[in-house]
Amino acid sequence: MGAWAFYLTTIIVYGAVDAMACMALNVEFGFAGISNFGFIIFQSAGAYAAAVLSMPPAATSNGGFQQYVLGWNLPWPFPWIGAAIVGGLLALPFVFLVGKRLRGDFAAVGLLVSAVLLNVLVKDFVPLLNGDAGISIVPAPFQSIWNPQALGYQFAYGGVAVVLTVLVYFLFRRLTESPYGRSLRAMRDNDVVADSLGKNLRLQRTTTLVVGGMVAGLSGAILVGFISLWAPGAWGYAETIVLFAAIILGGAGNHKGAILGALLVPLGFEEITRFLPPVANPTLVPALEWVAIGLLIILFLWFRPEGILPERRRILSGAPASALAPVPSGKDTDALIQLGNLDELNFRKLLRLEETANDHRVILSTQGLTKIFHGVTVVSDVSIEVRQGRLTGLIGPNGAGKSTTLAMLAGTLASSGGRIFYEGRDITDVPSNQRANLGLVRTFQLASEFKKLTVLENLVSAIPKQSGDSFWGAMRGRRHWGREDKENIERAMEMLGGFGLTQYADAYAGGLSGGQRRLVEIMRALLAEPKVLLLDEPMAGVHPRLAHKIGDQLTRLCEAGMTVLMVEHELSIMDAFCDPVIVLAEGKVLAQGTMADLRANLEVVEAYLVG
Amino acid sequence: MSSFGFGLITAAVLAIATVGFTMQFAVTNVLNLAYGSVMINSAFVSYYLNVHGVTAWVSLVGGVFTGSVVSWALNRFIFTPFQRRNLAPITVVIVALGVDLVGTFGLQAIVGGGYVSFRQSPGSEYHFLGMILSGLQLVILAICAVVLGLVHWVLKYTRLGKAMRATSANPNLARNSGVKVQRVISTTWLISGALCGLAGTVLAMNTGVFEATSAQLYIVLLLAAMFLGGPGEPYGAMFGALTIGLATEISAAYFSPQYKEVIAFLALLGMLTFRPYGIFGSEKTN
Repeated sequence: MGAWAFYLTTIIVYGAVDAMACMALNVEFGFAGISNFGFIIFQSAGAYAAAVLSMPPAATSNGGFQQYVLGWNLPWPFPWIGAAIVGGLLALPFVFLVGKRLRGDFAAVGLLVSAVLLNVLVKDFVPLLNGDAGISIVPAPFQSIWNPQALGYQFAYGGVAVVLTVLVYFLFRRLTESPYGRSLRAMRDNDVVADSLGKNLRLQRTTTLVVGGMVAGLSGAILVGFISLWAPGAWGYAETIVLFAAIILGGAGNHKGAILGALLVPLGFEEITRFLPPVANPTLVPALEWVAIGLLIILFLWFRPEGILPERRRILSGAPASALAPVPSGKDTDALIQLGNLDELNFRKLLRLEETANDHRVILSTQGLTKIFHGVTVVSDVSIEVRQGRLTGLIGPNGAGKSTTLAMLAGTLASSGGRIFYEGRDITDVPSNQRANLGLVRTFQLASEFKKLTVLENLVSAIPKQSGDSFWGAMRGRRHWGREDKENIERAMEMLGGFGLTQYADAYAGGLSGGQRRLVEIMRALLAEPKVLLLDEPMAGVHPRLAHKIGDQLTRLCEAGMTVLMVEHELSIMDAFCDPVIVLAEGKVLAQGTMADLRANLEVVEAYLVG
Repeated sequence: MSSFGFGLITAAVLAIATVGFTMQFAVTNVLNLAYGSVMINSAFVSYYLNVHGVTAWVSLVGGVFTGSVVSWALNRFIFTPFQRRNLAPITVVIVALGVDLVGTFGLQAIVGGGYVSFRQSPGSEYHFLGMILSGLQLVILAICAVVLGLVHWVLKYTRLGKAMRATSANPNLARNSGVKVQRVISTTWLISGALCGLAGTVLAMNTGVFEATSAQLYIVLLLAAMFLGGPGEPYGAMFGALTIGLATEISAAYFSPQYKEVIAFLALLGMLTFRPYGIFGSEKTN
């Protein structure tokens, strides 16, 4: 009985530690889309921190047989708090890697390599943390007054570990089920688009890594206090892959999935070997374990990429009937036009447009804007003016530099030369998310919906200044942001009604037809409350009749004070709605004026309008 | 100066490996983190041929062949099917990590955990320009030089090389221009896999003793060399490998050999932070 009870406590502590680690990695990977291949260093940093904070100075401890820094001899719970702080601080040097410009897989290998590097350094630089041998005889909390070998102590330790795990679960839920969590998932699905809607990617990723690192550090502290030793061999970079395997198996983007994965993979693999008969070759069993983990990753990603417990779809509309809308086909776009009540939408109210008279001042302009890719000048010395309250068109043949110009205006692409002015201010060096917050919002030519967010979530995520859309806002809980979020959902539902997409409110945006996804993107951009809306071929793939209805609405929006700059191929749209129209060809401004002027301009006709 | 000689060998082998690695990235956009496991598996095939009586240089061909076929199969049966599902690039990288575990530890399960070495004497020592190189190392250097020359010739002067560069720059455009993209990709993986097998085998020969997990951290040097020259750039890879190879060995001589990889790590992190598209590269269109 006794041995089994001790074994049980071991399983409880290990299970809690693994569950915490997996939940933390899951918030980073499954929710925020940060592939932290160096996760294990956060856990081990916490373990080391807890160890050296709780141990006596190295010189006095057991005749100084091991070397380490600090040795502050702190009582519980300070070593654990210190471990969480160290885990969180360790995230900060990696902020540059997960900053907004670097590809996710590049950042991931950077983190992987950092994990390898730190392991090598700690192994080889003995004075820091006793090198390869690691640190042993780490004191257990309260060991002077309670024997850590007593069964009661062990159960109490396990109990504390489980309570902390439950607390972490609720903390993470509070984070991910808030508007901030929605922004994290939006970033995961498409970071460039989230950035263009005003999300601060660097801050979001930093926050996630710090919070994840703190929990990882705490889990390391709990582990080291229990097993009383910690060495580099325990935290090779491959340990992170085990945690990834756990999350992929359990279900990325689902906290319970992470816990399940933790129990099945790290804990399960550790424990099952105890029950295997002894084998002659000592490396055989560990080797086969690694093979099994590799196979689990590959097979699950192929056969069940969503894991055992898939990410939950968030039903926000409160209309259960629409919850299971069939995956729509492109054919019913025509029916949608009948369904929608676009003409009845009060955009002025819905978009919170200020009641100001249009003064047609220059609101957005460029001087000598230039973009060079690989030595090829794509946009050359473009100087244009966009006037407030106008629907300006931007046309030109393929490769004329229209989309590139638009991307530079929005800040998605950095310009190679020239200046951009917005509201009289030079914004050339202002990051794209800040431009969005200033009211300069763009849409994309290619599909840009947040695939694993519902249509409604896509729309609501764009609404600026949400009080739950920050870490501390999220931490204050639903009481703080719930009412406002409800209003935002109602606004988004009204918009969906206008475009005839109510029945798809709770469907994943990734499942819609091409034309419907364009509509989602337009609605989302509008809900970002732009002053100047930059549209990149918004009508591509949209039914012509609906396109004209949207054009009518854009005209009305301009009358109400919004400004629109639209790249479009469809000349009938330009004819009907745009004034003035700017023509780009080979990266230069060829002409500008009304469509009637341009048709009269022989040069333009030759360059573009004919053929 | 002797560290320069060591550096030259390290750089030459690293150049072969990195060119293969970067070519795979160029045509398929996959950071093939299973590369090290293919290297070591090739080395072991070659080693078993060697212990069964085949001379080292002939068994080298076995290693090259293994690397080529295994890499091609990996791309054909694992990476390509995953990519067809339109997943984020990171998913394929995670799959590659899984493959790496299966490859490395599958090998360990079969051959056991012990160290082995080729039946091949290092040959007599040669002194020149202050460097000391063994006969074996001279042959390795010669092979690397010839192979890099061949890669250069293929890239620059053959239709295949042109098609590879086109596929790397823009697969869709290449397809529309009549390039048989699938065939180019397959051929690229056969060639790059051959480079991988060659690098793994000569690395094992040069190191002397090796075991199943010996190449596990080699990926770090590969990544450092690749990012230094710009991902997907074969000539950049050669430059990066030369720099990293020399820098690690020379720093090992002047500072401490324990930290010789540190300079590669720092180079990699620096590149990722400041110039993720290489020293000469610029950000890609689209």
